[in-house]
Amino acid sequence: MSFLKKSQIKSPWLMHFDCGSCNGCDIETLACLTPVYDVERFGIINVGNPRHADVLIVTGTVNPRNAVVLKNLYDQMPTPKLVIAVGACGCTGGVFREAPNVLGGVDKVIPVDVYVPGCPAKPEAIMDAVVTGLGKLKGILEGSK
Amino acid sequence: MNLTTFYLAVAGLILAPLLGGLAAGVDRVVTARLQSRMGPPLLQPFYDVGKLMSKVIAPASQWQGLFVRWALVASLASDVLLAAGGDVLMCFFIQAASACFVTLGAFSGSSPYSKLGAQRELFQMLSYEPVFLVCVLCMAKASGGFDAYSMMGASAQPLLFKMPLIIPGLVFVLLIKMRKSPFDLSACHHGHQELVRGVYTDYAGRDFALLEIAHWADVVVILWICSFLWATGPLQMLVVALIALFVVILIDNISARLTWRHMVKVAAPVALLLATVNLLWLYLE
Amino acid sequence: MFDAYIGVLVLWPLVAGLLCLVLRSPGVRSTLVLATGAILAIGALGVASQVPFTANPGFLSSETALKVAEGAAFVFPAYFLLRGLMEKHLLVIVFACLQLVLAVVGMLNMPEPQAIASAVVCDGLSLALVLIVAIAGSLICIYALPYMKRHEEHLHLKTSRQPGFFLVLLAFLGFMNGMALSNDLRMFEAFFEATTLCSFLLIGHDNTPEARKSAFRALWMNALGGVMLHSGILLIEKQFGIVDIHAIINPALWTGVSMLPIALLAVAGCVKAAQMPFQGWLLGAMVAPTPVSALLHSSTMVKAGVFLCLRLSPVLQSTNTGRILALAGAFTFFATAALALGQSNAKKILAYSTVSNLGLIIVCAGIGTPIAVAAGVVLMLVHAATKGLLFLCVGDMEQTIGSRDLEDLRGMIAKSPVTALAACAGAIGMVLPPLGMLVGKWATLEAAQADPVIMVFIALGSALAVVCWVRFAGTLMSGKSIEGPHAHTSALTNMPLLTMLASAIGLGMAAPWINALLLPDADAASALAGGWGVMPPLFVVAMLAWIIGMKVLGRQSSVPLASPYMAGLPSAEPNSFVGALGKSWVLTEGNEYATELFGEAKLTKLAGVLAGAFLLALVGGAFI
Repeated sequence: MSFLKKSQIKSPWLMHFDCGSCNGCDIETLACLTPVYDVERFGIINVGNPRHADVLIVTGTVNPRNAVVLKNLYDQMPTPKLVIAVGACGCTGGVFREAPNVLGGVDKVIPVDVYVPGCPAKPEAIMDAVVTGLGKLKGILEGSK
Repeated sequence: MNLTTFYLAVAGLILAPLLGGLAAGVDRVVTARLQSRMGPPLLQPFYDVGKLMSKVIAPASQWQGLFVRWALVASLASDVLLAAGGDVLMCFFIQAASACFVTLGAFSGSSPYSKLGAQRELFQMLSYEPVFLVCVLCMAKASGGFDAYSMMGASAQPLLFKMPLIIPGLVFVLLIKMRKSPFDLSACHHGHQELVRGVYTDYAGRDFALLEIAHWADVVVILWICSFLWATGPLQMLVVALIALFVVILIDNISARLTWRHMVKVAAPVALLLATVNLLWLYLE
Repeated sequence: MFDAYIGVLVLWPLVAGLLCLVLRSPGVRSTLVLATGAILAIGALGVASQVPFTANPGFLSSETALKVAEGAAFVFPAYFLLRGLMEKHLLVIVFACLQLVLAVVGMLNMPEPQAIASAVVCDGLSLALVLIVAIAGSLICIYALPYMKRHEEHLHLKTSRQPGFFLVLLAFLGFMNGMALSNDLRMFEAFFEATTLCSFLLIGHDNTPEARKSAFRALWMNALGGVMLHSGILLIEKQFGIVDIHAIINPALWTGVSMLPIALLAVAGCVKAAQMPFQGWLLGAMVAPTPVSALLHSSTMVKAGVFLCLRLSPVLQSTNTGRILALAGAFTFFATAALALGQSNAKKILAYSTVSNLGLIIVCAGIGTPIAVAAGVVLMLVHAATKGLLFLCVGDMEQTIGSRDLEDLRGMIAKSPVTALAACAGAIGMVLPPLGMLVGKWATLEAAQADPVIMVFIALGSALAVVCWVRFAGTLMSGKSIEGPHAHTSALTNMPLLTMLASAIGLGMAAPWINALLLPDADAASALAGGWGVMPPLFVVAMLAWIIGMKVLGRQSSVPLASPYMAGLPSAEPNSFVGALGKSWVLTEGNEYATELFGEAKLTKLAGVLAGAFLLALVGGAFI
């Protein structure tokens, strides 16, 4: 595998977007950065700019207002890109699924690569999701050889 | 120009970005250890650049690719000039040109964060340029020439003893050029930035990767010039550069970001005043 | 042959101007101005091919010519006095009277000075000024043709005042050439005063109250400079009985003698070059039509002042007078660069930056070593082309959008790409390597090695200038231009603009070789082997960067651009985002001018007092 392709696996920069979460999953996501979990070991950096991001982590339910922003952020990311839906709300809409102002999970708006269940999702699970996503990306990259 | 100079210049062209990347890796690891974390692998900056290289994304403005390449060429040229023993002042001016191109590219971008970053970048340039120039003037006065070789081989006695007062100035310049707290105003290495990525916001993909390489080259130039302070041998110079790097990382980790007004009104004048006093002292001697 | 070239350079513009006045038709005027440009270029090239040389053309050396020059010493102050009395402007009256008194003293009290060997001595310095006049001066006159037409349409004048305007404009070029070439101090003074008169008439051309006020401010300051110049000349005549400039600038003449006359001449040069605290007249000149401010600022008028100082440099070298002059120049360089940074008025930025760069040239003159003087001449040439270019661009953009505020010029690159890109190139040429201005600044910095204070001032001013010009270029490239009509392009506007662009870049790149030409042989060899030797490789690097950059630009221009990052919100059109209820919000951008640090209100008085103290020390020090 060439250096450039290997680099794509070894340097996932994440952008975290809170669609409409109760902040439980957000706290768990940010906990990944702390010394206890230290995701920077995998070369992961938390970035605030879709133009620099490789992985989009979305927490919370999608509603008509933030669906536009979610779609726009996804479009502004460079390809290849991964999307990880975190928590019950992000995966399916959770307990808010039937609410009149809720569209549902993230996959109603953009394609999702990895789902992380839990309410809130555990940091270990989120890290595992990133690794799973990178495995998927690796498969794609190797396939495109 | 003789053959040795030519080989040195080529070595500067190739080694400087590599060393700069390594310095960035050391920075990531040391920062992580200071925060009781493991940190990424030492070569992480190279993976980052490799990844950015292979990304596909539309440019934010048609001018950015041009300015990025100009900035990269200017940064590398200043490295080559320094390696070939050229004029240190000219080397500094070429490097300033690189910073100007990055700023112009940010101005031509479309995001308001990019433009705000460009404004702050200008004030950073305003703050560090005179300080750095006066520091170089001190070195030139003490070593008797403006070219890099005469500064490196000035005398058996390190320049440091003749110019203790420029050290705060050099640290100030390093903090700004390496985009470290408390002067990481226009762009920051970490995610916690009120301007998203400041001047870098609109650069992406390959352009951003090239910009990162230019940044490494810049850092090498500044660290190299700092190492003239104890230029009694290559090993000593390396040690000085590593100490300077560590000091900058330490300050980055123990300080919070200041405002640009503080930088322009307080920090820069103090650093400049100290360096100027040192310069006058060298002349009165 | 020399006489013919010199005649063409000095007299033809005056003749062409008079023809413009008499014939009045716009077609004839355009032909005459274009012809003058061509003729001046031929004359300048003719002179350049022969330099250095001496000559004795009749119209500069005959009895009659000297009588005319002597008469001019009365006529100009008398006219200034008359205008001063009409306007009841006290300062003009005082200084014009003083000039008259000095003229009378000179006529009654002075013995006939030694006859001079040759009335014209042309060296590298004179040639530089002649080239500036021929290239920058005539391009600005050509640019003035369409500009003044639109200007008068805008003012709705009944009868055109252009014939008179072009008479002064063209005659001015001739006077400048005369000043550059003449070797007789009395002749030099006559031409020097003639440029003062021209600037007064041109600044006041629009005859609005503001224009009149600025014109009289320019007049009293330059009349003060005239007083200095005349008294300096009288002292020299009294002391040595010579008026031959090249004999006077022999350092051997001044050993053990008071430098007061030289100091007076230097101050006269500083006034003409609008050095602080006399920068006011140049800023006031902004009210005039753009060709005037371009001609006065960039190319000629102000160059007369630095020309005089550079001329005196052999005498100034390693004297206290020279040191103080260099210090005054360095201080002006720094202070006006700071003032330029605090301005949003594009023309004021240009004006302050001009004063600043002239200060740098004065530093070179004050240091006075051959290397410093060569750097000064390079700065003078490259500055004329680059600043001329910037003036033409700003003038053109001002006519397009009706504002000269930098904030309104935002995003001009979309509205008038040619002009805005030329302006960006000019701005880059002002501060970035490997172009001439930066190289000149660098050479000055290294030449000033004997004086740490000067070096610190230059370091500060240099950083301020970089920020000022990068912001200028960045603003033109940034954001969305204000609503309004698209640029009208005319060949007569674009031709001077593009030629000026070419000469700014060309002269900028040629700086090392110009420098080598100006230096004595030994110095030239060591300069090219030493510091300046780095330039040719840098040009190769710059060309490489240019080629790579253009390739990428071509590629990125043809792809669709990414939507702007507005914190995730979508954006329907540039500089706006779609917010609540689907409403489109427009972003407003603005530069930070940090007026609390660099504003005029904050700096002008303080810096003026300090700079005035430097000039007083210059004269006072020489007096004691």
